[in-house]
Amino acid sequence: MPTATEQTTPPLLQLDGVRVDLDGRSVLNDVSMSVAGGEVVVLLGPNGAGKTTLLSLACGRRAPDAGRVRLAGHDPRTESSVRRQLGFVPQHVALYQHLSVVENLSVLGRMMGVARGDLAGRVAEALDWSGLADRARDRVGTLSGGMRRRLNIVASLLHEPALLLLDEPTVGVDVAARERVHELLRRQRSQGLGILLTTHDLPQATELADRVVMLVDGSVRLSGVPGKLIQDTFADKRELTVTLAQPATDPQSRTLRDAGLTPGRGGLTWYGAADNEHADARRWDDRLQEMALAIAEIRVRAPTLEGVYLRLTGEELDL
Amino acid sequence: MSMAIFHAMVLGLLRDRGALLMSFFLPAVFFVIMAEIFTTTSGESLQLNVVVKDELDDEVSGRLLSALQATPTLTLTSDPDLDRDAVRALVKSGAYDIGLIVRADGEPLDSAGGFGAAPLLIVSDPARGVAIPMLAGQIRRAYFSALPDVAMGNVIGELENQFLTLTEAQHEAVAEGLLEMRSEAEAGREVGWSFEDLLEQESVAGGESVNLVAYSAGAVAFLFLLFASVHGAVSLLEEREAGILDRVLAGPGGISIMVNGKLIYLVVQGIVQVGVIFMAAWLIYDVDVPANLIEWLVVTLAASLAAAGLAMLLATACTTRRQAQTVANTVILVISALGGSMVPRFFMPEALRDLGWLTPNTWALEAYSGIFWRQEPLTHLALPIGLLAGIGVLGWQAALFLARRRAYGP
Repeated sequence: MPTATEQTTPPLLQLDGVRVDLDGRSVLNDVSMSVAGGEVVVLLGPNGAGKTTLLSLACGRRAPDAGRVRLAGHDPRTESSVRRQLGFVPQHVALYQHLSVVENLSVLGRMMGVARGDLAGRVAEALDWSGLADRARDRVGTLSGGMRRRLNIVASLLHEPALLLLDEPTVGVDVAARERVHELLRRQRSQGLGILLTTHDLPQATELADRVVMLVDGSVRLSGVPGKLIQDTFADKRELTVTLAQPATDPQSRTLRDAGLTPGRGGLTWYGAADNEHADARRWDDRLQEMALAIAEIRVRAPTLEGVYLRLTGEELDL
Repeated sequence: MSMAIFHAMVLGLLRDRGALLMSFFLPAVFFVIMAEIFTTTSGESLQLNVVVKDELDDEVSGRLLSALQATPTLTLTSDPDLDRDAVRALVKSGAYDIGLIVRADGEPLDSAGGFGAAPLLIVSDPARGVAIPMLAGQIRRAYFSALPDVAMGNVIGELENQFLTLTEAQHEAVAEGLLEMRSEAEAGREVGWSFEDLLEQESVAGGESVNLVAYSAGAVAFLFLLFASVHGAVSLLEEREAGILDRVLAGPGGISIMVNGKLIYLVVQGIVQVGVIFMAAWLIYDVDVPANLIEWLVVTLAASLAAAGLAMLLATACTTRRQAQTVANTVILVISALGGSMVPRFFMPEALRDLGWLTPNTWALEAYSGIFWRQEPLTHLALPIGLLAGIGVLGWQAALFLARRRAYGP
């Protein structure tokens, strides 16, 4: 079911049945998704899932081998003017280190087509958003990691795009700096900006996302509102993680699967659902000991998006 | 939008003192060094250091060596303790350009022309072969101008040997005349005759030193244009690595604004850089740049465009900065050596001179030489200017093609 935002606002970004082949294999396969104004869509997936390729499609840097990509109703690859609607925040801090904060904003604003007459106002606005007004004359090289990340984001907002694409916007920043980035993004969303961000940071996804799209091996495996995804996956159960001291044998693995657990990569960690935190932990402990499995840890907790992701992919994301 | 790239490049240059020095100061210094070499080693003013051993040490040899000593382009050093081997060793070691020995066992200077050993022995190193005709020419000139009585006496002696016999009275008259010639010569007046009297020189262009300085300015300018352009163009690869290119590619301008902005910057930087070099040529060496300003500007614009286009092509063809720098250094050194930026083309064998026409350096030098050496009007320089501009435009378009292909795929 589409969300309320989707029903009221036409999508800024729309991918329909997109397939991208690279070196004889499908990097994206039948991917359909959309981003509307005023919503944050978080793209989750392990390395190699196709997240970066999807962003390249949205920027018009790549053409799909099948399907259709539309940015504000136009093809971003062939109609370059529509890319004015787009702001892109690369994973790297894509700034001129030897220039000052204000020089970076001026130069990058003009590169994105901001008219000279509007530039000073937009730069002042960006300094305000990023909280860097008092560091405006300082060179970027002298800023902290968090400040650079914020500047990296506001530099992509100078031309007032309708849609912002962010590739891992908070990699390598501390918790406080990450919270300021979130605050900045929430503020932009409240002003109607559509945001599509890729991240490995599941708490970040939970905190920011209006919708989550999980890409696995180039396909959309799950998509929806985080709370609903958690509800659909766990219902009224708890999130169960069993970590073994040594890998299970094949017969043991079959038994664990039959019991409703999903193996993680490497076979040591298994994910599932439990009814009750304490009672279930004890029950699983007894059951695994009966199977002669050495247990390192049994964890039962309130279900999270991470649990959904782990049950889906069996793979922990690198934070 | 391209001007934003230009602006970023200018700010980057102003912030980078090393790059500023490399772009403007170093080329000017390099040019001055080259110009000094050219002006002090050109035919007009080449200085020779000569080590002399006068084994004869008589009046005639003394007069000859005094005349040579007075020659502005020669510096004679004589030491009675030297022997022939010491003279040879000094020349071989490079301490002196050439050696001169007045032989004790040679024919006498005032009655030379017999079948014995020559009275003068020039000791030379093949590496400085040009010194031989220079010293020989100065000896010939000194012999006839400072020792006219000796030269004439030898001729009369030879005349008597071959054709006629003078009477006693004629001998006396000759002796008296020769004495008079000697007095006149010693008084610094021009007497007698010399081979040089048969020659007159006419220059088809300006002074030799000025021409060579102008050549040197063009040669150094294009060499550094190439280096500076590559240095600026590879910032494209840095911006790709930093992610700035990704940001720009997602915008409406795309890769074209990046390539065009950098090209504009490189052309402007090139004009300023060449301007600094030619300003030094004008202020220090009197190369008449103001009188040829329009021609200079047109040629410099074409040369800068050629260097910028080639540099952008290289930057877009390479995947890393290291790769681009390695390729650039190799290519620039080879084409600059072939093209005459390091050694004047007129010193090169014909095959290398012909190969030089395949390099932009040669065409840039051809254009600058046309202006300052041959004083040709702009219309006569259409070919080199057109070729340089053509190279620039082709390089630019190829760079755009490669950059688009790399950014957006085939």
